[in-house]
Amino acid sequence: MSSDPEKMMSKADKMTKLTLTRWSADWRGATELYEQAANGFRASSKYEKAKVALEKASKGQEMQSSPWDAAKHMESAAALAQKLSIWNEVADFYRKASELYVECGRAQPASDALGKAARALEEVKPEDAIQLYTDACEILEEDGRDQMAFDLYRACASVYIKLEKFADAATFFLRLGVAADKCDATNSQCKAYLSAIIVYLYGHDLKQAEKCYNDCSQIDAFLKSDQNRTASRLLTAYNEGDIEEIKKVACSSTVNNLDHAIIKLARKLPTGDVTAVQMNAGDDLDEDDLT
Amino acid sequence: MTVIDILTRVDSICKKYDKYDVDKQREANVSGDDAFARLYGAFETQIETALEKAELVTKEKNRASAVAMNAEIRRTKARLSEEVPKLQRLAVKRVKGLTTEELAARNDLVLALPARIDAIPDGTAGGPKATNAWAPSTASRPDIKFDSDGRFDDDYFQESHESSQFRQEYEMRKIKQEQGLDMISEGLDALKNMASDMNEELDRQVPLMDEIDSKVDRATSDLKNTNVRLKDTVNQLRSSRNFCIDIVLLCIVLGIAAYLYNVLK
Repeated sequence: MSSDPEKMMSKADKMTKLTLTRWSADWRGATELYEQAANGFRASSKYEKAKVALEKASKGQEMQSSPWDAAKHMESAAALAQKLSIWNEVADFYRKASELYVECGRAQPASDALGKAARALEEVKPEDAIQLYTDACEILEEDGRDQMAFDLYRACASVYIKLEKFADAATFFLRLGVAADKCDATNSQCKAYLSAIIVYLYGHDLKQAEKCYNDCSQIDAFLKSDQNRTASRLLTAYNEGDIEEIKKVACSSTVNNLDHAIIKLARKLPTGDVTAVQMNAGDDLDEDDLT
Repeated sequence: MTVIDILTRVDSICKKYDKYDVDKQREANVSGDDAFARLYGAFETQIETALEKAELVTKEKNRASAVAMNAEIRRTKARLSEEVPKLQRLAVKRVKGLTTEELAARNDLVLALPARIDAIPDGTAGGPKATNAWAPSTASRPDIKFDSDGRFDDDYFQESHESSQFRQEYEMRKIKQEQGLDMISEGLDALKNMASDMNEELDRQVPLMDEIDSKVDRATSDLKNTNVRLKDTVNQLRSSRNFCIDIVLLCIVLGIAAYLYNVLK
């Protein structure tokens, strides 16, 4: 057995091609050779070739009806693609790996694969990342493992915040709340609702924030929590246009327990629109008084 | 029975039946037509009962009852002081069968009454003396009443310097306590948050642990099976019969080799 990865690759390729002398492809041998070739390439830092070798190895494993190994190879291939910054391949490989995992009936690694993909693509292609996160969450929810989905929801919402799509971010927080409700994780649920309200306020959407607050108040767990009090303080401060109070609430310990991104938003909260809100309210009253 | 016993018994029996003694009653009521004398008699009895009560108060250990009794004494004193003017009016009235000396004597008695009433101790013993001390000053300057209040003010300033210091210290300590409590509350918030996060994390890991448990159980049973089979195989390999067969065959091979060697040499 030659130790030259190139030779191994060519040999393995020959094994898989159907010719007159070969009536059925020898996948097992080919797969072994592919794996060894990949290791050799990796050792010599030829990542492109290693990636190709891993792809083929994964195909071989698939042919041998071992989706688990196939998925593993796919993931390694995707990791190499990430190193090489070939982003669409990253997404594709991870998706394929996740599908193979689902074939094995293992939801957790499937969603993990999608999560890794999303994390890799966060900086570069945020929309794809969001799609991947959503798919990952769906896989977990279908399997009934909602608790694992919390982190994914949070990451997805932070991507939305970076994209400044606040309504979507808030929606994701509310989905987090739903998932938390299913698992009776009241602390995470309340934190999720408070984060949603803060996101709405940051997006200058006071009415939405209030609607959200009213909706959430119907949930017992939220009603009895610290986060509820903080939210009500924040909203009353907004309604009164009291900037000092807003700043105080934003620096309170309840807000400091939330996600980093949310804390940053909260610190910036009185975004100059508070006085506008107050003045609008004042104008309305004046008009009413005159008429 | 001793003589003393007899005497005391006689005394108590007499007292009991005094009310049937017509002569004595007539004597006591000799001033029955005289309203002044009646009222004065009533006053005297009331003053005496008040003095008795005051004596009881000094012996009383229970402060609540002492305070209650003092209050009663004060009430009685107030009532009596109210009725003194009535008595004075009666004193001036001329009654038949009364000499001018007796009239003057009555006036003096009535004038002495307020002093006697005030003298009954009622728990505020210093009061009458203080009012007596103040009385001359107010009497001497009745028109400038506020000055005495002004004098009060001096006294007040004297005290309020200390009390303001005290108040300042109290405020500072209160502020420090509030600061400390704020820090404690922040720490507690952080702890609560961490604790609930830990709780959720542990909840998350419970089903995972169950899965691990079952998988590891399966793995151990597989291992046990494999071990048993391996043991059997190794035993079979090492069985003495196979060994002997191996040795015999080895000897045969060596013999054949030696024979060939000999032949070829």
